[in-house]
Amino acid sequence: MKVLLVEDNERVAQFVCKGLSEEGHAVDHADNGRDGLYLAATGQYDALVLDRMLPGSIDGLGIVESLRRTGSKTPILILSALAEVDDRIRGLRAGGDDYLTKPFAFGELLARLEALVRRGHGPTIQTVLIVGDLRIDLLSHKVVRGGRPIQLQRREFKLLEYLMRHAGQVVTRTMLLENVWEHHFDPQTNVIDVHVSRLRQKIDAGFEPALLHTVRGVGYRLGGDA
Amino acid sequence: MLRLLRSTSVRLALGFATLFVASSLLLVGVLWWGTAEYLARETDAVISADTQGIRDDVTLGGAAAAAETIAIRAGQSPDGRAIYLMAGKDLHAMGGNLMTWPYNVPVKDGWYLRPLDRGDTTRLMRFRVSDLPEGLHLLVGRDVQDRTEIRSLIVASLGWAATAAFVIAILGGLLVRRAVLRRVEIINRAATAIVQGDLSRRLPTRDTSDEFDQLAQTINLMLRQIERLIEGVRNTSNAVAHDLRTPLAELRARLEGIIRNEERREQPGNNPVVDEIHQAVADIDRLIGVFNALLRLSEIDSGMRRSGFRAVALAEITTEVAELYGPLIEERGIDFVVDVPEDLAVSGDPFLLAEAVGNLVDNAAKYTPKGGTISVAVRLVDESHTDIIVADTGPGIDASEKSSVTARFYRGRAADGIGGVGLGLSVVEAVARLHGGALELADNAPGLVATLRIATKLPPAPAGASPELAASGIAAI
Repeated sequence: MKVLLVEDNERVAQFVCKGLSEEGHAVDHADNGRDGLYLAATGQYDALVLDRMLPGSIDGLGIVESLRRTGSKTPILILSALAEVDDRIRGLRAGGDDYLTKPFAFGELLARLEALVRRGHGPTIQTVLIVGDLRIDLLSHKVVRGGRPIQLQRREFKLLEYLMRHAGQVVTRTMLLENVWEHHFDPQTNVIDVHVSRLRQKIDAGFEPALLHTVRGVGYRLGGDA
Repeated sequence: MLRLLRSTSVRLALGFATLFVASSLLLVGVLWWGTAEYLARETDAVISADTQGIRDDVTLGGAAAAAETIAIRAGQSPDGRAIYLMAGKDLHAMGGNLMTWPYNVPVKDGWYLRPLDRGDTTRLMRFRVSDLPEGLHLLVGRDVQDRTEIRSLIVASLGWAATAAFVIAILGGLLVRRAVLRRVEIINRAATAIVQGDLSRRLPTRDTSDEFDQLAQTINLMLRQIERLIEGVRNTSNAVAHDLRTPLAELRARLEGIIRNEERREQPGNNPVVDEIHQAVADIDRLIGVFNALLRLSEIDSGMRRSGFRAVALAEITTEVAELYGPLIEERGIDFVVDVPEDLAVSGDPFLLAEAVGNLVDNAAKYTPKGGTISVAVRLVDESHTDIIVADTGPGIDASEKSSVTARFYRGRAADGIGGVGLGLSVVEAVARLHGGALELADNAPGLVATLRIATKLPPAPAGASPELAASGIAAI
């Protein structure tokens, strides 16, 4: 994918650019709001990564608002050193699609970017999701793997649905907490891991190959190659 | 009654009434002295003058001269308003317009007020009896019937006037009280809204420059000052957040870059340097966690989040937290009991409440040994308070430690060897305070009962709350 990064901190920008290119993505970089807005408005990007605080007259939120006013639907991930809930809400209300607080792990950024871009492309209305021989019906809440029905609880179903919607991508624990449980605080304990391992017990035990993978230091991935 | 007396406005009204009545009484007294008493003094002066004149006549010209004077004087008062009687030793009349000495007037020097039969009527008379030389007795009197009637008329009207004054005073006092109360109530309402986090609100002022207006203006000045200070603190913490997060982000980026480079070159997991760097990154993340928790605490403590309060179904929140932690708790071999009635709702911030309950359950999960029990319950205490109770059978908190566990960075003795930075309970307590309640820690024998008490209904948020903050209730951020 082609990504525009607007970030004034040289080292962070370099780190993100390098990481994204190593993952095989094309990255353009602007270090101020004016250039960033110009590039965003004229170039074709799959996603934008904007720092919220930028030098000059236009900050990250200004870019988001300008772009949304012109009807652009490019997914936007806002980076910010402001972590208060209200700041987050302001960022999302301005038209951002996701909000990541600095400092962040590169894996987190990458996972969120890929999720955003995928969301932009995929068909919006799906009633059946299929990964390998695992198939879930969103209407009847039925889960079948290899012809065998699997009983899932409500929350397990929601977790599996989220993983299947992002099949082949890495999803982080924070993404799961925010999207499946809608919580916005840091649990001190490994609650998410326990949920995932329960789900794994149900969908992977007794089947080959294993579908739910742990990605070291980042999170989980359903399907895709090991 | 005592409670009523404690009210400043009631005391003010009573004071006002008392002062009003006192000044009315003073006015009435002066009036009385100037009218009724004046009449009485006049009469007495005339009687004294008459008596003196007749006495002088007796001294100078003997009884005959006196009798003559008396005859003249009596002749001047044909209607019998003036009474004269000069009597000898045996009280036989020697002159005057009265035939006999009145039976009810003693023959003794002095002033007397007696009724006197005058043919068909009885009139009230003022008499002066005096002993004259040569053993004579003189009685000089004046009809004071009319004067007495006027006097009682004056007394009656003064009485009515005083009563009316008292009633007016009470009414006036009540009016004053109401006027004062209204102004105080206006100030009170505005101040309540401000306490609830709407710092942009100001007390209404009129252009009257009266004391209340001056008070309101002073308070408004104070509020502007507070707002500036809070804005300053906010800016500072934002700046600190930015200035600290940015180098941390740089540092983290640099370390992660090294890891990525190293892992690209060789198989992960067999380079001790990379493991060390992984550890350093974890340390940075922990530091960021502390940092976030501190910023969060100051955000909660500022009370600004109150303007985003809305109706929160406690069942939903506690059940969700329970669902999140349930598997973890079961996996640790701990019984998990959730007892939450469906219909309890409070006014609050759903995210903060979820975080507080989450922290309590998180703590319980960390400290409860295998085979123990953790329970989550919601109880309506009374009309205005609801409790969220999280109980465990862990080591509990020592009585000596109870007051310090909510202090920032405090970690109880039982926390040795268990992760955490010691801010969890501080956050819970701050959330409880924000919701008009408190966090209570009690002994579960063994274990801990943490009770998060919240006010069921805070006063409704002011209408002028900033829309941006009010909108922070959107469900999915």
